[in-house]
Amino acid sequence: MLIDINNLTFAYGHKVVLHDLSLTIKPGDFVVVSGKNGSGKSTLVKCLLGINAVSNGVIFFNHEDINYFKKWTEIGYVPQKFDDFNYEFPITVSEILSVSKLHKTPEALKLKLLDDMGILENMNDSINSLSGGQIQRVFVVRAMLNHPRLLILDEPTASIDRKNVEYFRKTVNRLHAEGVTIILISHEQMLDELDYTHELHLDPNLEHTYKARPVQPPTEDIA
Amino acid sequence: MITLSFFTDLFTESFMQRAFLAGIMLGVLAPLIGSIVIIRRLSFIADTLGHFSLVGISLSLFLSYSLGNEIFADKPLFLGIFFSVVGGLLIEAFRRYYKSYKEISMPIVMSLGTAVSAMFFSLSKKTGSLYNYLFGSILTVTDYYIVVIAVTMVVVILLYLLFFRQIISVSFEEGNAKFLGINLNFFQLIFIIVLSVVVSILLEAAGVLLISSMMIIPVAAAMKVGWSFRSTTIISILFSELSVFLGLWGAYSFNIPSGATIVSVNILILIIIAFAKRARLAAAKKRSKQDALPDSHQGI
Repeated sequence: MLIDINNLTFAYGHKVVLHDLSLTIKPGDFVVVSGKNGSGKSTLVKCLLGINAVSNGVIFFNHEDINYFKKWTEIGYVPQKFDDFNYEFPITVSEILSVSKLHKTPEALKLKLLDDMGILENMNDSINSLSGGQIQRVFVVRAMLNHPRLLILDEPTASIDRKNVEYFRKTVNRLHAEGVTIILISHEQMLDELDYTHELHLDPNLEHTYKARPVQPPTEDIA
Repeated sequence: MITLSFFTDLFTESFMQRAFLAGIMLGVLAPLIGSIVIIRRLSFIADTLGHFSLVGISLSLFLSYSLGNEIFADKPLFLGIFFSVVGGLLIEAFRRYYKSYKEISMPIVMSLGTAVSAMFFSLSKKTGSLYNYLFGSILTVTDYYIVVIAVTMVVVILLYLLFFRQIISVSFEEGNAKFLGINLNFFQLIFIIVLSVVVSILLEAAGVLLISSMMIIPVAAAMKVGWSFRSTTIISILFSELSVFLGLWGAYSFNIPSGATIVSVNILILIIIAFAKRARLAAAKKRSKQDALPDSHQGI
């Protein structure tokens, strides 16, 4: 999915968080958004998701202004926290994925994604019996289930331990290889292991930089 | 014998058959909607709608008194449903108006409903009937009421089956609706209308003060034993049906309002489940301790 951001400035009251940010993300790009806490990473995600209102003419998805964009089903999103989700009521991982399907997704794909993320054995477990890291991986699978053209991941590994980050890294790299455009917010030390193509560094002093990554040899698991 | 006459009347008396039929249908409807209400953390909404539905009931009695027309007095349910829907829409409007304090909508609508219905009841000179509407009277339901419940049940179950994916995904996480192509505002509107209708129908059986209990408590008990959404829903319906049946028996045998008996059984089930679960957990803990003992001895 082609994303154009033109002179995006966003402020909470008088506090400017993003200033004059312009960039183009081409289909198939894998953009890592880095920066310290409070540098505007999550603010940018909220702008891209239409949660933070922006003026007309600032953000475009496939040349369509975000304020008139309707094809949100082409976007997969994994938030940083799942406070919005009701964990208390019993519902299994399998049931969550079933109600999150947009199309008749083959069962095999669901199983493969669960296996890729190392949670296949938890398929029939109730969500309220899983750890924070397992829940986060369930929601990564949910976001991938509908073949999104754009995947936005807001610090998806925040609750996942080092061992299980490996599952995540392989899956994201594979999706990138399959042509999915990816925007990944991260301030963790896992960037080198990802096949990202561009890095957007958000600076609290509003000196944002966007640059392509020097060409890397493909990682073993993709090759 | 009390129990025997209950069963014989169940097969011979038409009022008992109507009550039983109504109870069976409400036993499915109440937890089905109740589970969605719980997941969406709107448990207080049923109470509010019940109070607003009472405006329609009291207005019916007032109109029948002032116009001398028995149509309104015979079928207060229709105005009850109408005002319940109005109450639901008012709640939605206030929730959007007070975005950061959505719960404010409930006391505003509830107090408005209570105040207006108190006025109409008083003006209708039929404050005696208030007792039935407050605590329920399933034994006096009429044929038209059965038809209304049956139609509502068919519509609700059809909506539930047709839009199961949308209902569940939005209920568990509103924020995900957009990425599943679901119009959240439209969903909210339809949900509040369906809920309003179900609440005003439950009013007859459970009474205004106990409507939410009939919707919420069987689900609250089932949540403690269910292992999936499907199992929790089925168990909540079983608990609900059991409480309706025993509640009906209690209401008939001891001449107590049906809302009180049904909800008392519901509460009893909830308490039994809570104790049984606690005992089971304690037993499991004890077992795991015993299993661990030989290993620890080996270690020593």
